[in-house]
Amino acid sequence: MSPTLMLNLEEEVSMILFGVGFTMLLLHRNLIKKIMGMNIMDTAIYLFLAAKGYIEGRGVPIMTDGVQDASAYINPVPSGLVLTGIVVSVSTTALMLALTIRLYERYHSLDLDQILISMKLEEEEQL
Amino acid sequence: MRVLLPVLWPVAAGVAILAYTGICNSKKKAPAGSPASGETAADRASHSPAGHSQLTALDLIYMAALALETVLVIAAAAGGGSVRLFSLTDTLTMGLRVDSAGSLFAVLTSVMWLLTGVHSVAYMKHEECAERFYGFYLIVVGVLVGLDYAADLVTLYVFYEMMTLTSLPLVLHELTKEAVQAGLKYLFYSVGGAFLALFGIFYLASVCGDLSFTAGGRFTAEMAAGAPLLLTAVFCMIVGFGTKAGMFPLHGWLPVAHPVAPAPASAVLSGVITKAGVMALVRIIYFLVGPDVLRGTWVQAAWMALTLLTVFMGSMLAYRENVFKKRLAYSTVSQASYVLFGLSLMNPVGFTGALTHVVFHSAIKTCLFLFAGAVIVVTGWKKVDQLRGLGRVMPLALACYTMASLALIGIPPFSGFVSKWYLATGSLASGTGALGFIGPVVLLISALLTAGYLLPIMIRGYFPGQDFDGKEIGERGLAKKEPPLLMLVPIVILAAATLLLGCFPGPLVAFVEKIAAAVM
Amino acid sequence: MSFVQNFPFFSIIIAMFSGIVSSVLSGKKARAVSIAAITATTVLSAFVLAFCLRTGQSYTYMMGHFPAPWGNEIRAGVLEGLTALLFGVVMFLSVVGGLRYTEEDVEPSKQNLFYIMIDLMLSSLLALIYTNDLFTAYVFVEINTIAGCGLIMMSQTGRSLTAAIRYMVMSSLGSGLFLIGLSLLYDVTGQLLMSPAREAVAGITADGSYQIPLLVIVAVVSVGLAIKSGLFPFHYWIPDTYGYATPTASAVLSGLVSKGYIFLLIKFFYRVIGTETAVHSHIINILFVFGVAGMMFGSLRAIMQTDTRKMIAYSSVAQIGYIYMGIGLGTQAGMIAAIFHIFSHGATKALLFISCVGLYKASGDRTDFLALRGSGYRNRLAGLGFFVGALSMVGFPMLAGFISKLLFATSAFASPHKMLVTLIALAVSTVLNAIYFLRLMIGLYRPTKSGSFVEAAPAAKSGRTGKEGGRPAASAVNPWTMRIAIVCFIILNLILGLFSQPIVRAITDGLAMFG
Repeated sequence: MSPTLMLNLEEEVSMILFGVGFTMLLLHRNLIKKIMGMNIMDTAIYLFLAAKGYIEGRGVPIMTDGVQDASAYINPVPSGLVLTGIVVSVSTTALMLALTIRLYERYHSLDLDQILISMKLEEEEQL
Repeated sequence: MRVLLPVLWPVAAGVAILAYTGICNSKKKAPAGSPASGETAADRASHSPAGHSQLTALDLIYMAALALETVLVIAAAAGGGSVRLFSLTDTLTMGLRVDSAGSLFAVLTSVMWLLTGVHSVAYMKHEECAERFYGFYLIVVGVLVGLDYAADLVTLYVFYEMMTLTSLPLVLHELTKEAVQAGLKYLFYSVGGAFLALFGIFYLASVCGDLSFTAGGRFTAEMAAGAPLLLTAVFCMIVGFGTKAGMFPLHGWLPVAHPVAPAPASAVLSGVITKAGVMALVRIIYFLVGPDVLRGTWVQAAWMALTLLTVFMGSMLAYRENVFKKRLAYSTVSQASYVLFGLSLMNPVGFTGALTHVVFHSAIKTCLFLFAGAVIVVTGWKKVDQLRGLGRVMPLALACYTMASLALIGIPPFSGFVSKWYLATGSLASGTGALGFIGPVVLLISALLTAGYLLPIMIRGYFPGQDFDGKEIGERGLAKKEPPLLMLVPIVILAAATLLLGCFPGPLVAFVEKIAAAVM
Repeated sequence: MSFVQNFPFFSIIIAMFSGIVSSVLSGKKARAVSIAAITATTVLSAFVLAFCLRTGQSYTYMMGHFPAPWGNEIRAGVLEGLTALLFGVVMFLSVVGGLRYTEEDVEPSKQNLFYIMIDLMLSSLLALIYTNDLFTAYVFVEINTIAGCGLIMMSQTGRSLTAAIRYMVMSSLGSGLFLIGLSLLYDVTGQLLMSPAREAVAGITADGSYQIPLLVIVAVVSVGLAIKSGLFPFHYWIPDTYGYATPTASAVLSGLVSKGYIFLLIKFFYRVIGTETAVHSHIINILFVFGVAGMMFGSLRAIMQTDTRKMIAYSSVAQIGYIYMGIGLGTQAGMIAAIFHIFSHGATKALLFISCVGLYKASGDRTDFLALRGSGYRNRLAGLGFFVGALSMVGFPMLAGFISKLLFATSAFASPHKMLVTLIALAVSTVLNAIYFLRLMIGLYRPTKSGSFVEAAPAAKSGRTGKEGGRPAASAVNPWTMRIAIVCFIILNLILGLFSQPIVRAITDGLAMFG
């Protein structure tokens, strides 16, 4: 095992999580699990970003005790990005959940394949 | 302006007719698509022999428009001049210019169009939606004249595509299932061919920049050496534009599209529109790339082989075909390739033979198709074996048919002989080796086949044989029933033209030789 | 600093604010606000374009008071201005052309929502065009996705809901990849602004470190944006999405939205990675291969369709393939061709969608080939619009599509390795295009089964078409707004086809300013 493996633990975990989330979003048939996958994927990226911004032994980038020196704080930009990203992912999740509810009310299923089948059936009935 | 008028006038007139009359107001019968549609023309003819004979105002306007178009084209040809329309890109401009090759094709087109137009007035009395036919028929002639006078390849391509689109309604006219399928086939072949040509055009544009036509071509040997794909591009264009002229391997649309179109439409499709493909190739080979670059290359050999194959195959298929119009269509496949063969020789004699054959074949084939149309209108017969005893029905028209047939076979003093003579001598003098000698042989065989598929109709028409009782002719009162005057006159004029042009080919040959001298 | 330099920012903010304001307005007022906002942004974009053409260079515009490495920037040049202008025009015409149908398809209480989505869409498209900051781009990519999703589900049929969820899923995958790509880029370079990142990337490339991460970044961002713009094989959401939304939404989605992502990708290549690196990374070859495959596949599937909407949607798959093929050529000429195709396809596809609706309305709301027979007679203007659009797609000279094809072909001649594949792909897909469009076109001018031209085919058993009977009056079929839109789209197509040189020159200048 390469010695760098232990040094970059956060990055590795976040990449694994990203893979897990990506696969779930892509391959899972259940809509709720798809949404969970999406959230895992996003969270993995936030972990990655937060790990990038973190500097060992420094404080949160909020001015405490009047210390103005930048070397006292971690890099604030990734934290800002993570915050923005969370806002975005919350709104996307909300929209997807709303859509899922709509679909569930209409087709009584969370399985995307099942939904597609019942949609086709419904259309055939109409014709 | 004088150049622009013959293009704009018929298009404007056609659009005006279409706009004024609407889609299809004349609902004379149950719409096309009813099971008996095969017999409709004949039925209508027999049910109401005199009912449709008066001319309407529209018919007169239509004929006047065509006559004016002929005058305008001749005026433009006499006056010369050029007009630059606009620039498509920095290097690609669009414009029209009168030159002698263009004038030859344009005058030919407009005269054929006028004669066929007169015929169509009588023919369309037996079809629905004559107005729509008239409208598109007028538009097509404007587009064709534009194509003939195009000053550069892009303009030519634009008019070529427009010709495909505007002539499509003529093929589709009856809107039956077969007509639509034939129309689609016509469209796909034409568009496919045009796109094949388009890539050649793109390549030439990227090599040459300026695509305007100059006699003798723009490419020098050095330029050709610097363009590795030039020959491929030219071959693509030959096959692509050859589609319209019915050249193998893209000839399949012709025998399908011609029979379903109304007879006047098949006449011009065969007699004139196939020549648009010829015109495009004349322009590309002799006015853009230059015959010097291509002489002796594989492109020339391949082209000659393709045309000879088409000549033979077309005649053979025509010989075996039983539907009259289809037989004529196969004959067009064969004869148009005579022209292309002449062009592929790339020497002045072959070129002269090709362009004179354009004129002759145009007159002959238009005459034959108009005759076929007259037969359909008067008797409703479409198959060759139905035509026995035709001499009892329309002796005069059949005489015209005989003259045209003899001309197409190439029997002196009829016109076909002159052009075939030039083609054969040109082939022998072309210095292309074995192909140059095979050429005349194939032409001879094809002439024999032509005799074989055209003359029996005449023979059995006049001499139906002992066992022919003429019952059908007697019952339907068809004896001595020549087609209406409007149909007969164009047929007679064209038949006379084939004879006259054959007896006095001098001026035409001299004119064509002048063009040949300019491009080579 | 000239006052005009504020305009890119103004146009983004106008569009965004009109969306926010519309949330408390009624449908009619929201519509007016939306149209006004689109008009205003289009005019502002025209000013930006004129300004950049006059000065001959692009400029960066600082948002707030933080200078380069920290702050947020807008960058506007000729290409940005031109794209914004054309997007604005297409958006305006799509909205205007579909006004009546939006009214019919969307519930009255949700009318204003539709226009909010349109406003947000416009705002995010403009932001994608103008922004010089990758994270801002990400945020607006997400806004774009949400707005797009809203537009798709607006008609609230079962189809459109499933289409929306599929679109959402694919888009989330794409934006996830894009986000991880830019996080990695931030990790490697420490920059999120495009121009400083470019310098850092140049430094990395020069000393040869971080080559594999850089490759991963290019790959991940390209794939992410390719998924979002529906490149084959990530296209499966396209047909349903474009096919079952309301006409305006279809026109906007197919004409503009996917193009916004492609524009961002081009910007990423030019401004962040540098074309050299992008070409050497071979990612571009992969885009090329998938572009060509998409052209073939889209055209083949389009031929198999019997429903016009799906046919047009699959044709979009093919056209996106064209654009990626142009990018994949990896040359300046190929890029110009791709960008020109973005414009010409935007104008043409929107025209097709809008005029098709006219034909559907004249055929009792049915969309299959059989029902549309003869509809070219029943609704002549829509027939004409479809005719022009189809010819342009097929590549008829004097229309926009011809110039695209010309540019693609000439750029292919300049890149010897890919020439043959490009030419064959172009030829085959053009012929396939011709087959399905012209087949439909002839169908439009054929009589219906009953042999009549003027009457629509008897309505199907389905409930929503039952009320249509006989021949609808022409004015009922074509609202005047739609007439205007179709005529303007036709003119736009002709302009792109006839006067392409100034546009091509502007694209060339714009690309030169891009780097």
